[in-house]
Amino acid sequence: MTRLAVVAIALALPASLAAGPPPGSVGSPGEAARDTCVECHQALDEPRLHDPAAVAEEDIHHRQGVTCAGCHGGDATADDPDEAMDPRRGFVGKIAVGSIPSICGACHADAAFMLRYGPNIPTDQLAQYRTSRHGQALATGATDVATCASCHGAHGIRQAGDARSPVYPTRIVDTCGACHADAAHMRPYGIAGDEVAKYKTSVHYAALVERNDLSAPTCNDCHGSHGATPPGIESVANVCGTCHATQQDLFDSSPHKEAFVLMEQPACETCHSNHAIVPPSDDWLDIGADGVCAQCHSADDPGGKAAGAIHATLTTTTALLGAAAERVRELDEAGMLMEAAEVQLEEAHQAVVLARNAVHTVSLAAVTERTGEVGKAANAALEQAREAEAELRYRRRGLAISLVLILLAMTALVLKLRQMNAG
Amino acid sequence: MRPLRLAWEALDQRLGVTELLEFARSKEVPQHRNSWAYYFGGLTLFFFAVQVATGILLLLYYRPTAEAAFESVQFIMTRVPFGWLVRSIHSWSANLMILSAFLHMFSVFFLGAYAKPRELTWWTGCALLGVSMGFGFSGYLLPWNEVSFFATQVGTDMVDKVPLIGDWLLRFLRGGEDVTGATLTRFFGFHVAALPMITAGLILLHLAFIQRQGIHVPEKYEREGKLRRPLRFVPDFVLREGVVWLFGLAVLAALAAFFPWELGSKADPFAPAPAGIKPEWYFLFMFETLKLLPAHIFGIEGEVVGLAAFSIGGLVWFLVPVLDRDSAEGKQGRLFLALGWALFTYIASFTILSFLGVFA
Repeated sequence: MTRLAVVAIALALPASLAAGPPPGSVGSPGEAARDTCVECHQALDEPRLHDPAAVAEEDIHHRQGVTCAGCHGGDATADDPDEAMDPRRGFVGKIAVGSIPSICGACHADAAFMLRYGPNIPTDQLAQYRTSRHGQALATGATDVATCASCHGAHGIRQAGDARSPVYPTRIVDTCGACHADAAHMRPYGIAGDEVAKYKTSVHYAALVERNDLSAPTCNDCHGSHGATPPGIESVANVCGTCHATQQDLFDSSPHKEAFVLMEQPACETCHSNHAIVPPSDDWLDIGADGVCAQCHSADDPGGKAAGAIHATLTTTTALLGAAAERVRELDEAGMLMEAAEVQLEEAHQAVVLARNAVHTVSLAAVTERTGEVGKAANAALEQAREAEAELRYRRRGLAISLVLILLAMTALVLKLRQMNAG
Repeated sequence: MRPLRLAWEALDQRLGVTELLEFARSKEVPQHRNSWAYYFGGLTLFFFAVQVATGILLLLYYRPTAEAAFESVQFIMTRVPFGWLVRSIHSWSANLMILSAFLHMFSVFFLGAYAKPRELTWWTGCALLGVSMGFGFSGYLLPWNEVSFFATQVGTDMVDKVPLIGDWLLRFLRGGEDVTGATLTRFFGFHVAALPMITAGLILLHLAFIQRQGIHVPEKYEREGKLRRPLRFVPDFVLREGVVWLFGLAVLAALAAFFPWELGSKADPFAPAPAGIKPEWYFLFMFETLKLLPAHIFGIEGEVVGLAAFSIGGLVWFLVPVLDRDSAEGKQGRLFLALGWALFTYIASFTILSFLGVFA
């Protein structure tokens, strides 16, 4: 009952009322806090009391002059522990889960206060959090949901751009996974708990974590950070379209756009899945081999026929391109300069990318226009390969003839020497 | 045939060609079981002549600026008739010339030919090898491709370690702080003007010393040399050398046709250095040794210790005719023979092991 009351009061407090940290708990920005709490707690043996103080110097708040009293209350300037941890001076000790958002928000939702640390620091996190599934669940009294400290840590908090922070892009999946990969924890919320494992099989995870491409999305890029919530059917395309704008435009121009709305199917997810997004394959269009199109189309309906024709033109031209690339590679290894052909191959590869993009229009004409460009560039590369092969044959013939001539000259010299020796 | 005879007579009257021919005919090359070693010097000279001829042809199209160098070599290899062949032969011949020079040097060493009175021939030969390596180092940068750019950066970085004048020397070589277009222009100047002039002078001296002192016969083969009839320089030795040169030409043609010299991609000074940057093969033994050294040896930077050791080693090798006391009597000391074999084994093994990727 007491816990529920604290949560209810904390959440009911408007940000304006909770504005700013407790008086005297914050020093000057840019100067590390002078904090007697840290001094005493570093000397304690009990890990529960020692560990938070041990990481104080790494903490962004401590380094910017915010003392322990900023969150825990009390007097961080007092040398006497009784005075420092006096409830009459606002000391609360361990902070209840339900109070965490409003305690963090006391500063982070206060635009005037945060201006001290930088002109463009966002201050809408608390407002967003309250709209999130996490915030809504907390408001109902749940205490096993994520609050600020669940993701950012409670002590030793680093800035989000610090690669050691749990909210650094490459680490977010494991931070979210601390709860979301636990099926038992997720069951009461109707979440499968396999999303993190699936995401780790995706192209996005490979790009972000394995290739360190920070532009690749992780959990919060689709679900939001502080306002984390699953995107609904109507907004999935917008989420994916944030990065895949061209594909979204092409899809929006296609007959699928309206059809998916009517069938209440999400735009991208229907074919590409959501968390386990694997590299797409031209064979997905193979209607006869259970490609994704077969989920809705049969081989005989107009959509199925279009899919079959698109599949055929893509596979034919990519095979032609593969053969051209192989021949150019062989000639390159044989020592021929194949730069012009490589430029053609690059153009062909770009046209393949555009042709595959054009699949989102589900228009055979749009795809064929692009595959025509692929064929043209691949044939130009093949023509250059043929010329290079002819040149290579010419060089080898020339070499053979010169070697014969050199050999003849050597033989003549040797014969002359023998004749001289005999004489 | 009368016009030819008249021309010959006219030349002979004016220049005394018959006398010269008689002199050449009277010149003899001693014969013994290791007289095959006498052909390496000539072979090196042949490859040098190939370098001069192909280098002049490349000069017709090459442009020594950071903006145009790579493109001009690309033009030579793709558009100029037989440009690919000329460039490939120039690159391969450079390597074969240095290989042949190394073999010549070691064969001369093992036959003890550096001993008195041939000290000056040894020293001009050592200088010629050094100049050849300078040719290789400066020529490597000229195509201005990625590998050559970074290899030059690493190579010139080492100059900075030279005590007192290191910084000055680095700026002198690079034409500034970094490897830039100024370095390319400088290296081009060294490669096509300064080094050829020095080489021509050294070759003339080297040949003049050999001519003046005659061809050396090792002490242990003196008896055998007296028993076997020496070869007349003209025509016997010249014809034999001709066979060796033709063999060199055949190897060169085959290498150029089957393994054309790569061009790589254009140097980008702002790009990170690609992995596995290596210098030309004849610098590999030093490169790999420096890589193996610890960061610090007795408190001194490992690389500095290594470079100092190479400098001292090079000086000892150069001064062998003075340091080998037996040399004064025209002989070779056992210690120095062992030193030669140790050096040969070290250079050969490190170079081969580096190619096999053992140090990777």
